[in-house]
Amino acid sequence: MNRGLHRFTVFVTCATLFLIVAGALVTSHDAGLAAPDWPLSYGQVFPKMVGNLFWEHGHRMIATAVGLLTIILNVWLWRREPRAWVRRLGLFALLMVIAQGLLGGLTVRLLLPLWVSSAHACLAQLFFCTLVSLSVFTAPGWQQQRETIEEAGSLSVRYLAVAAFALTFVQLALGATLRHSATWDQYLPTNLLLAHITGAVLVLLVLGYTVLTTLRLYGDRAYLARPAKLAGAILGVQLVLGVLTFLARNASPEDPQPLNPMISLTVAHVACGALVLAMTVVLALRAFRLLRSSQTATAQYQMNAARS
Amino acid sequence: MLSQRARFWLAVSVMVSLLAFSLACKKKAVEDDEVAEDQPAATPYKSKGDEGTITGKVSLNGAAPAPKPIDMSQDGACVQMNANPHSDEVAVKDGKLGYVFVYIKDGQVTGGKKVKDYSFDMPSQPAVLDQRGCRYEPHVLGVVAKQTINVTNSDPTTHNVNVQAKSNEKWNQSQTQGAPPIVKTFARAETLIPIKCNQHPWMKAYVNVLSHPFFFVTKEDGTFTITGVPPGTYTLVAWHEKFGEKTAQVKVDAKGTVTSDFTFDGGATAAIEDSSLKLMPAIEFPMLGHH
Repeated sequence: MNRGLHRFTVFVTCATLFLIVAGALVTSHDAGLAAPDWPLSYGQVFPKMVGNLFWEHGHRMIATAVGLLTIILNVWLWRREPRAWVRRLGLFALLMVIAQGLLGGLTVRLLLPLWVSSAHACLAQLFFCTLVSLSVFTAPGWQQQRETIEEAGSLSVRYLAVAAFALTFVQLALGATLRHSATWDQYLPTNLLLAHITGAVLVLLVLGYTVLTTLRLYGDRAYLARPAKLAGAILGVQLVLGVLTFLARNASPEDPQPLNPMISLTVAHVACGALVLAMTVVLALRAFRLLRSSQTATAQYQMNAARS
Repeated sequence: MLSQRARFWLAVSVMVSLLAFSLACKKKAVEDDEVAEDQPAATPYKSKGDEGTITGKVSLNGAAPAPKPIDMSQDGACVQMNANPHSDEVAVKDGKLGYVFVYIKDGQVTGGKKVKDYSFDMPSQPAVLDQRGCRYEPHVLGVVAKQTINVTNSDPTTHNVNVQAKSNEKWNQSQTQGAPPIVKTFARAETLIPIKCNQHPWMKAYVNVLSHPFFFVTKEDGTFTITGVPPGTYTLVAWHEKFGEKTAQVKVDAKGTVTSDFTFDGGATAAIEDSSLKLMPAIEFPMLGHH
């Protein structure tokens, strides 16, 4: 167990959330093409940060920093982490951040085609989730000896949490596609907007049920109850932000430029979405760490009985 | 540190990513080249000396929307050139509307073909789109396909010129203070091409590319005059960024002048027609309808 490594992993995870916020600010300010070249901006490493170049080049600089942090994390993992699968996950994160950088370059070189911009936004969330997973795996709580508990209830909390994660990710992908379908001066496409609203209802139902079931069955287990409570609370905030963002975004095409509160609400909605997804990852991983199916329990009981 | 297999897959992944990246960029260049080559050959129009004129006025009925303040504080150079910047896409004077693009959309030349099937003499001068005072001048521009357009920067700051064409080549190019003009052409007819500066997101202009020279952008007095029109029957369109499109049928007689006036309704905006609010009655929020 290496507390320093865990703390550094959490730091890189937080830096990635900051990077997602920076990326969301680029989109909301319509700054994605402020620098027509890539990877440099106006052919310079440090151009004069005026106008929207502040957001676009700032995003590139933060992304570079996160890339470097991910390399350092990998070096640390390969030197100090005894579990090969954790080291491999770190390497996977590094590949993701490289691919993400190239996708970012493609968005600029291809003038923001929808599929590239949406893929860039989705890969950002997956990269964030990978770092969240690494933070969970390197945590002392994960590595200490724990007695597993037999799953109670008719529906498995482990698979409910996985379903909540998958559904939340699809919802974020829909949100990213919706967001990149129209700039601030255009109205959002109705079909995608309706799909995103439907997705919100489904996430509310599935994640809400997962949280309630977790609290009902394992409310006395802080290891599970804490992420469940956090997921529920952040989901509530996210739904409110969603409605406010919709209202602000619909008024935006009448403005002469991207303005607050549209910018801050939209960025908060993106960041909060990432946090909801992160909490489903934490809940699912911890559920798999702590819970086992009743069949596994029965088989283990029979095996122990046969041995004795 | 890394196993041999891990190193192998790492190298493969990086190579595949780089290959995909370069292919994607190359594909765009190929698509851009294809744009100019698939236009049918048009018959050169031979003047008979009996061309006519279309003239008229564009009015705004009702109150014009109030100009909205623009925050230019992110670029000191823009602030210095604009004491009290406001949106100016609705230019109204005495009820007459500027920045309206009036053009022949379609029609039949008397005793001949459709107007789109002819080619006309190219304007002798290039069109100019200037970036001045962190605005585009003019806000609405009309050009003939393949006519040279010079994009200039008269500002003491850097702009990027982001041309969001659909049928023509899309391009995005930066232009620093004092840089030479960006010289471009549009290969084919396409109306309402937005041009944006992403550095200064309030900067927006529209370029309209036509296959013929029969267009006019109204000034503040709302008047337009289109000369040299071959006798025929045409669909005349007046388009405004905020108020949408109006059409009229006009018949131009030999050496004649026909008048066609347009009136837009100041209470209705073009944008709301396509709004998601309008299409979603179940979740309609009337207070945001901008009426």
